Amino acid sequence: MMDDQIVRITSRLVAPFIQLYGIYIILHGHLSPGGGFSGGAIFGASLVLIALSFNLEAGIKQISHQTASVLESGGALGFALTGLVAIAFGGNYLANRSAGFPLGEAGQFFSSGAILVITVFVGIKVASTITTLFYNIIEKEEPLGNHKQTD
Amino acid sequence: MESAGHQPVLIIVLLLISAFIAPLLYRRWRFLSGAVVLAALTGSFITALLLLSKSGASSSLSYHLGNWPPPWGIELIIDPLRVYMLLVVTGVSLWIFIYALGDLKHELHNDVIGWYYSLYAVLVASMSAITLTNDLFNLFVLMEICAITACAIITIKDQRECLEAGFKYLIMSAMGTGCFLLGVAMIYMVTGYLNYSFIQSELSLALTDYPLNIFTAAALFIVAFGTKAALFPLHVWLPDAHAAAPSPSSAMLSGLVIKIYAFALFMIFYRVFPRSLLDTIPLNEIILWLGAMGVMFGSIYAMLQTDLKKMLAYSSISQIAFIFMGIGLDQPLALTGGLYHIMVHAFTKSTLFMSAGAIIYSTGVRRISDLGGIGKVLPLPLFAFTIGSASMIGLPGTGGLISKWYLALGTLETGRILFLLVILASSLLNAIYYMPIVINAFMSGEEFKEKVKIVPLSMQVTLAAGMILVVISGIFSRQVIIFFEQALTSLY
Repeated sequence: MMDDQIVRITSRLVAPFIQLYGIYIILHGHLSPGGGFSGGAIFGASLVLIALSFNLEAGIKQISHQTASVLESGGALGFALTGLVAIAFGGNYLANRSAGFPLGEAGQFFSSGAILVITVFVGIKVASTITTLFYNIIEKEEPLGNHKQTD
Repeated sequence: MESAGHQPVLIIVLLLISAFIAPLLYRRWRFLSGAVVLAALTGSFITALLLLSKSGASSSLSYHLGNWPPPWGIELIIDPLRVYMLLVVTGVSLWIFIYALGDLKHELHNDVIGWYYSLYAVLVASMSAITLTNDLFNLFVLMEICAITACAIITIKDQRECLEAGFKYLIMSAMGTGCFLLGVAMIYMVTGYLNYSFIQSELSLALTDYPLNIFTAAALFIVAFGTKAALFPLHVWLPDAHAAAPSPSSAMLSGLVIKIYAFALFMIFYRVFPRSLLDTIPLNEIILWLGAMGVMFGSIYAMLQTDLKKMLAYSSISQIAFIFMGIGLDQPLALTGGLYHIMVHAFTKSTLFMSAGAIIYSTGVRRISDLGGIGKVLPLPLFAFTIGSASMIGLPGTGGLISKWYLALGTLETGRILFLLVILASSLLNAIYYMPIVINAFMSGEEFKEKVKIVPLSMQVTLAAGMILVVISGIFSRQVIIFFEQALTSLY
């Protein structure tokens, strides 16, 4: 990987802002363009940026391979379970208002019931998937037969 | 239509949740991971049985996801034909999974088995959803999920030919879904709906105003599902993919995945396209000819193979074409044969791939010519292979006879003697390439020399179950045929 002072310092400066922006996009998914997928992708990109400009170890220090894949399954699981909660409340699968999720006032942050919850889960899932994909590609770069497991 | 309770969606969600939990559990408790997916598959099979008793042979139930009524929301429909397909999907995948529990340890890296369980559950979930959905765009999404997981259970085996075959499959299948999406766009353009039932009533009006759009969409659908289900000229990806995959994946891909697309095409033809469209352009005729060519060429290619699994894969091309011939003849008896063949071939080809897997597991032999005398050392797998071959040929007492019988009746009913000859010829060809293996395995004088490992219990049990299923489908077919007769009256 690259060993360049300028790239390292810039990415270290920029990364927190990218992450903050990613979280913003995820949390405002029900109010403005964006949402779980785009926000998660932005957040995941910041982790990829760190791994690229420093090295894989630095990236893994941010979020380990294992944590990433647990979050990946957890995010999808959360989505599926949110749908089941609707059934428990007497609606159909993934029902929102008719299952009694509080919709709040349109335009407010706490509004839209289940959509906000699902967006957060999708965000977690996408961010962790992007990092896992990237780690997997990097690890596969090592010559075959010399399988080093990082987790 | 009355409401269906939550069972239709629970089948899908149960499988998905087990898929998300399995890799998490696999880190700590390897045993539990398989058990969770097994439990979910059993649960979904039982739920499908409950749905069968609920819907009966004539009524249909509908489920609105998220309480959004159609045409806005996604609708799942339970009707007799869908329940039949759902039972086949959940039942056969449960059966193959038990086999996989024994076989995977020797085919895959230990770290990825948890992911295999997960992919398997997602694949079954997507196939169950494809049978139930009543929404074209939902169908597109599910087809993508199905294609990606199907590729993944091939490439998960870290071998050169698996990666190559998986990549080929991925490209072909992406082309197929691309065509499908374009077709859906064409339909949406002229009708403004994505829900099957709404499109059907709207298309008969739109047909006079925008015939070209609808014809293009129909052509795109045939290419899309033809590619996905390996209909004859579009079959090129299948032999490599099905032969290179780990044996449980081959059984799954040949047994169910290609059939789910044949079923989806059937649904498109009879639930999306209005009767007037099928009467205007000869869609069924196209499918019929492609199917007839597939039946012949699949068998001929299969005769030329030297690798056991590759031969079985080519035989799948010929067998899936029987199902398409059933759709192509467009006649209740032939459709009965085609739909029954979905189940029969799922049983038969899975049994055959499982016995091939058991042979490879215990001896490592793949070449057909090296199988001489193997029946004496591996009696159960080869006996299962014999029963499977008998069903492929269509010998009495096996399921293969029933489906070919009804297809043949269908050709006679429509007066298409040529296609009767095709069916007969293909049976003979099947005998030519299946029987020598069986005869060579049991009756050849030579001793089998390779070292033989003992086949695990779970594999033996599933092979025995496979034999029983093939025979049961051949002897107790009456109930199912009556069920089809009642269900198919709604189409004509």
